[in-house]
Amino acid sequence: MSSHTDTMSMRDALFEAPGPRMRRNIRVGTAISLVLVAVALGLVVQRFYLTGQLAAKYWTFFGQASTWAFLGRGFLGTIQVALVAGVIALVLGLVLMLGRTSALRPVALVSRVVIDFFRGVPSLLLIYFFFLVVPQYGIKLSSFWMITLPVGLAASGVLAEVFRAGVNAVPRGQVEAAMSLGMSKHKITFKIVLPQAIRFVIPTLISQLVVVVKDTTVAYVVSYPDMLQNARVLITNYDALVSTYFVIAIIYILLNYLINKASVAVARKTGTKIISRTSTAAV
Amino acid sequence: MATEETSIQLPVIELDHVNKHYGDLHVLRDVSLSVEKGEVVVVIGPSGSGKSTLCRTINRLETIDDGRILIEGRPLPEEGRDLAAVRAEIGMVFQSFNLFAHKSILDNVTMGPVEVLGRPRKEAEAEAMELLRRVGVAEQAQKVPAQLSGGQRQRVAIARSLAMHPKAMLFDEPTSALDPEMINEVLDVMVELARQGMTMVVVTHEMNFARRVSDRVVFMADGQIVEEGSPAEFFDHPQSQRARDFLDSIKGH
Repeated sequence: MSSHTDTMSMRDALFEAPGPRMRRNIRVGTAISLVLVAVALGLVVQRFYLTGQLAAKYWTFFGQASTWAFLGRGFLGTIQVALVAGVIALVLGLVLMLGRTSALRPVALVSRVVIDFFRGVPSLLLIYFFFLVVPQYGIKLSSFWMITLPVGLAASGVLAEVFRAGVNAVPRGQVEAAMSLGMSKHKITFKIVLPQAIRFVIPTLISQLVVVVKDTTVAYVVSYPDMLQNARVLITNYDALVSTYFVIAIIYILLNYLINKASVAVARKTGTKIISRTSTAAV
Repeated sequence: MATEETSIQLPVIELDHVNKHYGDLHVLRDVSLSVEKGEVVVVIGPSGSGKSTLCRTINRLETIDDGRILIEGRPLPEEGRDLAAVRAEIGMVFQSFNLFAHKSILDNVTMGPVEVLGRPRKEAEAEAMELLRRVGVAEQAQKVPAQLSGGQRQRVAIARSLAMHPKAMLFDEPTSALDPEMINEVLDVMVELARQGMTMVVVTHEMNFARRVSDRVVFMADGQIVEEGSPAEFFDHPQSQRARDFLDSIKGH
């Protein structure tokens, strides 16, 4: 094991470099934990086998193109909801943050209440609101909007706070320099503060997209055909609960893994310019 | 940089019995100061004496409690467009440079002319390049601030201020955040500006600069102007005990 690959850098920053005895302990510990993981996996497979979950009838339909086409449609549904909800959350989050930091007290207060409301209320409750309450007032929403709106609104509260953290991270000197040039408040916000604030929080924004993707799974409440809803149809048709959830879980994990990977890549790309400026006070 | 002569020469900057408190702390005590066109005034004093605060009140980065600040005879506006318009006419150079971290060096210099004065970008860029050449960092135009040394950043900051064609420039400890070997490259630019007749208020610890370049030295302690005079008078025959103590304390090495 090479001790100075870049995956080690974070550990190196937290702990001192291991000496010979520590290196031996690490090797022994690694071997033991590998054995334990193998045993645990074996037990899982054994349970699957003993309970008959490995029987062909639970798995063969995954060999059919129609199964994947059906799941694929669900996957597209999930992506559509997640993307539109994500855009709603971004735009509304930005607006709420601007409201929350407004010099006008009533605007700030209302924005704050809205942010805390969306942050505090479980998204499932918001979905029930759009599903059960809104239609009573004669507002007809498609199932797409009944899932997308509440998921987007719930995320907007969190994003507003994320944006605010970004704005607070912009050094005061940036604003002072802009003021000293005679820039208007409006221009300082949109040309100096926000572009930097957003760069600071891009990784967090993308991680929040993972939360949005996971929130979309409650789409079954409004019977919108997202991936999970379609999986439930497969389960009913083939009577294959464990195998279907197993496959679906892996797809969700892969999707969110990719999103996280993307966030790391973006962070690295925009990071170079920012890291050197947070480490020194002067720009 | 010759601007048209006004018939009556009003001081470019005038502070009239200015007071400021931070809570219980009286940071500016009845400060009066006037800076004539083309004059270079250096403000020195021990840390915590209020010299930076004084400098920052002139373009209202710090508010004042009472007294008056006049720019070319007109009271400094308290807010809004009018204040922004006055700020646009007074350059400011900060201790920590404060270049816009997300913009290229060139964009830092064109930001003011384009966004505040509404000048065409092409024209602003041509002039910005000329200014960057003047301060010796033209080759860095496409880089971002984080890629430059402290001395280079501060010279860019000066170019950014100059791009606004200011009537006066404020320097708030412009070399205090610099490594020693970079101080002179910044001071050289400032000396050149002074020679060309720029009106300057410079808060600094660089005594040689004060002695060589300034028309007047203002010595502050405990929020008050204790003494002011020509550099020769001040450095060779300080009147007050505070000034003598201060000069002794920095001469020791």
